[in-house]
Amino acid sequence: MEKKKLRPKDFITIGIFTALLFVVEFACGMLGYIHPYIVASYVVMIPLVGSIPMMLFYTKVEKFGMISIMSVLLAIIMFVTGMGYLGAPLIILSGVIADLIAKSGGYKSFKKTMISHGIFCLWICANYFPVVITAKSYREGLVESGYSAEYCDNLFRAINYKTIGVLLVLCFIFGCIGAVIGKAVVRKHFEKAGIV
Amino acid sequence: MSIIEIKDVSFRYKGSAEGLLKNISLSFEKGETVLLCGASGCGKTTIIRLINGLIPHYYKGDLEGDVTVAGKKIRETELYELAGTVGTVFQNPRSQFFSVDTDGEIVFGPENIGLPPQEIRKRAEEVIEQMDIRNLLGRSLFDLSGGQKQKIACASVSALLPEIVLLDEPSSNLDRKAMEDLQKAISKWKSQGKTIIISEHRLWYLRDLVDRVLYLEKGSVIHEWTGDGFRNLSEAEINELQLRPVNVEDDTSRRTEASVFFPNDEVLILKDFFFAYDKKPKGILHKRHPSGDRLDLNIPELRLPRDKVIAVVGHNGTGKSTFLRCLCGLERSCTGKVIIDGREYGRRDLLKLCYMVMQDVDHQLFTDSVMSEVMLSMDDPDEAKCREILDHLGILGFADKHPMALSGGQKQRVAIASALAACSKILLFDEPTSGLDYAHMEKVGDLLRDLAGSGSTVLVSTHDPELIERSCDFILEIVDGRVGSLTSNPSFTGRS
Amino acid sequence: MVLIVSSVVMMSATTPFLWAVRITMTMIPILLLLFEKKYSSAVRFLILYSAALVLTLFFLSEESTGLLKSFLTGYCGIVVQFMPAMITAWYVVRTTKIDEFMSAMQKIRIPDGITISLAVVMRFFPTIKEEYMSIRDAMKMRGIMLGGGNALKMIEYRMIPLLFSCVNIGDELSAAAVTRGLGGKVKRTSTVELRLRAADHILISAFTAVLGIFVFFKYIR
Repeated sequence: MEKKKLRPKDFITIGIFTALLFVVEFACGMLGYIHPYIVASYVVMIPLVGSIPMMLFYTKVEKFGMISIMSVLLAIIMFVTGMGYLGAPLIILSGVIADLIAKSGGYKSFKKTMISHGIFCLWICANYFPVVITAKSYREGLVESGYSAEYCDNLFRAINYKTIGVLLVLCFIFGCIGAVIGKAVVRKHFEKAGIV
Repeated sequence: MSIIEIKDVSFRYKGSAEGLLKNISLSFEKGETVLLCGASGCGKTTIIRLINGLIPHYYKGDLEGDVTVAGKKIRETELYELAGTVGTVFQNPRSQFFSVDTDGEIVFGPENIGLPPQEIRKRAEEVIEQMDIRNLLGRSLFDLSGGQKQKIACASVSALLPEIVLLDEPSSNLDRKAMEDLQKAISKWKSQGKTIIISEHRLWYLRDLVDRVLYLEKGSVIHEWTGDGFRNLSEAEINELQLRPVNVEDDTSRRTEASVFFPNDEVLILKDFFFAYDKKPKGILHKRHPSGDRLDLNIPELRLPRDKVIAVVGHNGTGKSTFLRCLCGLERSCTGKVIIDGREYGRRDLLKLCYMVMQDVDHQLFTDSVMSEVMLSMDDPDEAKCREILDHLGILGFADKHPMALSGGQKQRVAIASALAACSKILLFDEPTSGLDYAHMEKVGDLLRDLAGSGSTVLVSTHDPELIERSCDFILEIVDGRVGSLTSNPSFTGRS
Repeated sequence: MVLIVSSVVMMSATTPFLWAVRITMTMIPILLLLFEKKYSSAVRFLILYSAALVLTLFFLSEESTGLLKSFLTGYCGIVVQFMPAMITAWYVVRTTKIDEFMSAMQKIRIPDGITISLAVVMRFFPTIKEEYMSIRDAMKMRGIMLGGGNALKMIEYRMIPLLFSCVNIGDELSAAAVTRGLGGKVKRTSTVELRLRAADHILISAFTAVLGIFVFFKYIR
């Protein structure tokens, strides 16, 4: 690319894909209310479903900063919709690292893209931060606001200091798997249709 | 010195094999109104993009030659520097907005180029006055009709006070009245001495405005007329060039008002089509058939002839789309039934019985090849039958292609094929010919006849008088959600 | 205006868990909606919210188990916990003009890139909704709402057309935006003057007070 600077077109692309990703996240999030284990399984669902728009996004990314900006946007949106501010640093951090990795592959190498997507998916874990860090007060809050004790117990069985590590790893793994699936879908549809 | 100079320009889009423009040289004088016409893919849009700088700054490709606009070499000028000089109104009213509200959209451009707020407000005020859009202010763009959106787009371009205004098929999604509004906007610009270049298929509304007309074919200009020369072209010459008519009579005046009666075994009977968009909050019960006026659709009974092509006409927002949606069974709260040969079809059956080809076909193509797209609609996949249908529609050659890789008309055919595969008896078309050139429109017309001939009832909602004239047996007029009239089409039956 | 809104959002993000305070909190966005003459949505939210509230208070307890109950808990959880935030978020999107938003962002010195992207996000939610609606209609007509019982297909059929049209719209949108001078080197100006008015001050102080009470009861007692 002759110009490294981001142009309005890139910003608009970022905006669109962030909106799409958020919609996916939100749809999955709604399921979480059915059972707490589903909350934990975000780490599987969101990377897999979200990978389709993300892989398409990666094909459009050619410059450094696009993924980072996306993560900043996600952090802002998460904050505004009441998911708390605790996860924000993680979201942005994972975005920047993902961006750096993808950059080292010149935004072309698929292996790098895969790892980058894996890292990027760590942002999902940010949603758990309130649960883990402020565990006690969060729990009280939940019980008070009418969740059943069973729900809470399950939630905390699924997500606590011990499992967060596992969840992070799972996020990464499914991020990578998602990247493969997403890539396959992109190839099946978008490349065949000549859009990419 | 002409204001726009295109010199020996050839252009080829990145990724396409053939060049789109071949060594073209054009110049436009200041204050001229020029119409670019010709079949789809002839290079009209590319010329527009050359002038507004989207080529080469936004769409990549191989560009040779030089384009100079108002003394600036496009190649060396950044897009934002052109913003105050060249304004463009695009084809699709849905996608050219940055804001969500009308006021913000009008001032978007001037704000971008950093004008002082007082100046912007003054300009906005002037533009609002000129375009007569005060009634649209302060509204969400998502609630506006296509025509209203296009008006705002014009105003937004105007607010930048460009010397040159480009319009790229601006009427594609508009009805007759909206086109007349557009006509007014253009003549306003003309009276202000702006240079206007319009790429367009529908010609009648521009007839009295143009000073010069260029006819393109395969990337070169092959005809050129002065405004008067163009107005004096005979109908035969227009037909020869495969252009859409320059003169369109007001179609309502010619209709025979005699209602038609059909015997029972040749009709579809539509019963109890009542529907109102729910504007009240949930939880407040309202009467099942509230009296009259508040209903968006109010058709107690309607008899439609079978196996015919029926045009559904009426102004935008008068209930055409609502009618089609209800007939398809898409509106849950619509209780309408269709009776064929004494058998009654409720809402769920209608979903199967009817198929609507949407205006934006992209939404109804789901799979990765034309073949599987069609098979998806079959209860038990039958490849032979699928091939037969595709062959019948002339798209068998694309069976393995991705539907999205096809052209608009081909996509439409894929959608029709999947409707046929699902054995739908009633086919609905929502504005199938908006934005098509004459040749393509003709094809769609023939296709509709063909479908009706092979045992489907076809309902077409359309604004194109040419299409109605060519291929519709009957005209159903919808007025404010009621049936205005159902008449046979004199111009069509006269011909056959 | 923007400032009130963002403070409202922040507040509801940390919605107090004390019942009385919470209910008052929720009423505020609903009132705001009323001010903006969005009566129907206000009423709808009100009804949903109170239904959920009543359910939560009287029928659900910590012992509630079973599928139906947990479903109900889920529903009420969503409504009670996220409704205020959602109403406000929705309110922001409905009433904030992109224009105001952009100049507000500029004022607090957020880089242009983020501002533009975020503005596009806001603009795009309604678009995605519109597109998704027509895709769903198309799916209904084809009878593939459930993707033939295949979850993967279900996702694919929804995502693919949505992505296609979003990419197309995005493309046209950026073309239209750049021809109108987006991304120039000149500093953007704005016709909207953002100033805090009396109403804003009142609201902000009210929210701060509520937050104060909340924090006090929660952590100090």
